[in-house]
Amino acid sequence: MALTACSSSGSKSSGSSSSGNVTLKLLAPDYGTPGGPDSSQKYWQGIVDDFHKANPTITVQVQIVAWTNWDQVATQLQNKQYPDILLGDAPQELAASNLLYPLTDVMSASTISNLIPVFAKQEETDGVAYGAPFTTSSRALFYNKKLFAAAKIASPPKTWADIQTDAAKIKALGNGTIGYGLPLGPEEAQAEAYLWMLGNGGGYVDSSGKYDINSANNIETFNFLTSMVKAGDTEPSPATVNRTKDIWAGFADGTVGMAGGSGALIPSITKAGKLTKDDYGVVTMPGKTGPLTQALAVHDDITAFKSGGHAAQIKQFLDFAYADKYQIQFDNEYSLLPATTSASQSLSASDPVAAGFLATVPNAVVYPTNSNWDTLKSKIQQTIGTAAQGTDPSKVLGALQTFATANN
Amino acid sequence: MTQTTHAGVRGSAPDPGGAPRRPRRKGGLVRALAPLPWIGPATGLILFVVIWPVIAMFQTSREHYSSLGVLVGSAGWNNFTRLFDEADLGGVVVRTVVWVVAVVGATVLISLGVAQLFNKEFPGRRFARWALIAPWAASVVMTSIIFKWMLDPNNGVVYVLLKQLGLVKNFNTNDTNWLGDPTTAFWCAVFVAVFVSIPFTTYALLAGLQAVPSDVYEAAKLDGANPLRTYWSVTLPLLRPALLVAALINVMNVFNSFPIIWELSGGGPGSQSATTTIFMYQLKQSSIGEAAAMSVVNFGFIIVIVLLFLRASKWNSAED
Amino acid sequence: MTTQSIAAPARSRRRPAERRNLPRLRTVVLAGSAYVIGLVFLLPYIEMVITALRPAGEIKDRDYLPHHFDFSNFTNIWSTGLGTNLSVSLEIAVGSTALVLLVAIPAAYYTARRDFRGKKVFLLLVLITQMFQPTAMIVGIYREFLTFNMIDSVWALILVNAGFNMAFAVWILNAYFGAIPKEIEEAAVVDGCSRIGAMFRVIIPLAMPGIVTALIFTFIAAWNEFIVALTLISSLNKQPLTVKTSDYIGQYSTDWQHLFAGSVIATIPVIILFALIEGKVVSGLTSGSVK
Repeated sequence: MALTACSSSGSKSSGSSSSGNVTLKLLAPDYGTPGGPDSSQKYWQGIVDDFHKANPTITVQVQIVAWTNWDQVATQLQNKQYPDILLGDAPQELAASNLLYPLTDVMSASTISNLIPVFAKQEETDGVAYGAPFTTSSRALFYNKKLFAAAKIASPPKTWADIQTDAAKIKALGNGTIGYGLPLGPEEAQAEAYLWMLGNGGGYVDSSGKYDINSANNIETFNFLTSMVKAGDTEPSPATVNRTKDIWAGFADGTVGMAGGSGALIPSITKAGKLTKDDYGVVTMPGKTGPLTQALAVHDDITAFKSGGHAAQIKQFLDFAYADKYQIQFDNEYSLLPATTSASQSLSASDPVAAGFLATVPNAVVYPTNSNWDTLKSKIQQTIGTAAQGTDPSKVLGALQTFATANN
Repeated sequence: MTQTTHAGVRGSAPDPGGAPRRPRRKGGLVRALAPLPWIGPATGLILFVVIWPVIAMFQTSREHYSSLGVLVGSAGWNNFTRLFDEADLGGVVVRTVVWVVAVVGATVLISLGVAQLFNKEFPGRRFARWALIAPWAASVVMTSIIFKWMLDPNNGVVYVLLKQLGLVKNFNTNDTNWLGDPTTAFWCAVFVAVFVSIPFTTYALLAGLQAVPSDVYEAAKLDGANPLRTYWSVTLPLLRPALLVAALINVMNVFNSFPIIWELSGGGPGSQSATTTIFMYQLKQSSIGEAAAMSVVNFGFIIVIVLLFLRASKWNSAED
Repeated sequence: MTTQSIAAPARSRRRPAERRNLPRLRTVVLAGSAYVIGLVFLLPYIEMVITALRPAGEIKDRDYLPHHFDFSNFTNIWSTGLGTNLSVSLEIAVGSTALVLLVAIPAAYYTARRDFRGKKVFLLLVLITQMFQPTAMIVGIYREFLTFNMIDSVWALILVNAGFNMAFAVWILNAYFGAIPKEIEEAAVVDGCSRIGAMFRVIIPLAMPGIVTALIFTFIAAWNEFIVALTLISSLNKQPLTVKTSDYIGQYSTDWQHLFAGSVIATIPVIILFALIEGKVVSGLTSGSVK
């Protein structure tokens, strides 16, 4: 019976209903509030429904995990529960374990060529890309114009020395104001630390791509941060203070004078309702002697797992989901930036704030792509903040360098 | 599940030649299996829910996972070597000992007093006892988050009060940084841990106090003992079993406690306010295998504590 | 406070002339210090309720009370489907409690009444179980339930909560059953009850305070469990309240007022339950801890 049913409808609705149907599992973090109106569940469900209408034989199951519960994903992977498509971290470590499709297997050439080159380059292991950037953001310095005016500061800072003097003036306003918000807590310490290292010609790797965490420049950078913390120019305990919940929320509430931020900070400001559009400004992050010539840009990536064996269907879905429409919808919802050239162009035309950030992207600095970067990143997040809070920077950075080279 | 049960119990009770208790004679096997319907389900549940994961933890501690949780291969004893090489481990272990001793010691001492007080008759005793229940009924996670909120450097109500008293000069400064400084953060965590441990301990001791027969006190009174002496030489010895049980349960809860320090400071800065349980979670971020190794070491500590307790309570001789 | 409560009667005995006034003073001192202690233990929860009632704009104000109370925080979170989470929490707590009683009562009864080979091993196993907490072996727990295809299942949570809380129930009940004189049971058997009948008609009613204590402990532990639910449950409609409320600690900000409103809702049932049986808990623990 099943057989006849199959053969009679075979030509019509693209093949057998029992064997031709494929279900893909998509696992993604929530960039909004879980269960709330801005939950990423809604975003993905919209795409998936549209896609299912166009491709009735492919169903995509969406599983959204709150960022705060992202540990769940590691546990799932550890237990070999692989999704077909994962939105999350860089592909190198997963690729090293031979779990991922090369990007060319799961995305058509035209979609791939539309990815912004500086990010696309980051997806490679030995010259082969195993993932695609999906959403990006770049970092700049946000400053509170109200506090600057109250502290009689004429212009936004350009150098570290500017930050230090401005921060001291803002702090002197009293009432709990924080001069510069320095989030070196576990959430994203690697980003804040990187912003400062870059300002002193340092970074995580040297020009040849080898780890160089305890370079003289980096140590000098953290000595400077320590002096800022000691002088009270920042919040008192940067090593336990996190980016979004503490510093960004504080900036949105008007208590933080300056903070490194991305476009994602803007919705928080709007939501808090304490600062209007004219109350804050965005400038290039200052370095030791002048503004950074390259912005730090970060991205979250799509990777596709081989375990399900659905390369063709994944390809159909990803080509569909990377349409400008969906890219821009995502960026409007969360004030992040697109990962494709065409979407960037149309967003630049319509959104001046995004255009400002997007202008810095082609020349952006990115994280190292060494295969153990993810492991090292967790270690950095946990420990690097102590180098600005009383522990000798050469010790902390030295331990990280040892960890980085020993766990290669 | 049932099958595991049977295997487990049969393994522990191969008793073909035991003395018959009932007049009706049964086969040795039947007699050995007689406890099964009674303790079988309980044993099964323990094996399934508790012992199985323990074994899985031991396995994980010998495996190498990438930070994203992908199994890379066997690690031999590498996870343990790396764990023992961690510069922070020594401080973490010492802090754990201080943590357990300080929390349990303070809890027991304060609870002895509170129990004594709440054992007396006074109007409204019921309401006072109800108030004491709150920290017990609320989840520890919640209570820890409330304390974190009350110690928020920007607007914590504790600092609001201290500012009015002139003890805090300004918000978002070192004055309001109790949870950011490793030492004060640790002692705040100790305070919260004592706070949530007192209710159960007090109730356990109250139960012990109520079980002391009143004629014992009458006798002490007749002997002319003063109240302090009566407490020291009559009440306390009679409370000993209750004290011992309460202390043991507290030691275990406090040693395994995760939410309090995690919510208050995350064990930070770095690992400077972490105990071994917190350290395990911190390691889990970068190496699941090493975290599992830490868990195995923790189990070692637990076994040692159990053995000490068995010795202290002479469990073996007490059970007939 | 220890010295107060003890010193007061001492004085009253030594100076008979003051005897009439002192008991009243003593009561006032006793009651006063007890109220103060009670208040101290309530303070954080009072702050929780106040924050839950703060309007969003006044969350970070540096004062004790908001200018006006905003009850919409409670209705807001209710409209995000909190009812579902509440019923999940209830399923987990009731399920685990039932399972614990079902397996713990026979085991405790049998070990209290009979000697058998392996009894020590069993009791030792129970004691060791008491020492372990799911927090410490979350990776192992996840691996296990994955093997049984029980990830994202409320049943898994019921099993875990029951497993980790059973030890305490067995210990309490074991002591309780042991304290009931064998003669009572034997009299019932002589009267024509079967062994099982005697257990149900005589022993269980006598052990009721112990059973209620075990029941409450399990219920509260299961109700408040967080880590295992966080790890095993991924569907929003299967999250218990503890996990749901923690979602208000979002990526970009913490909705303190909603977080605490959810917590108030989650805590109230337990406090009521506890208050109802407060007296029994003491007597339930009496037998258990004094053995």
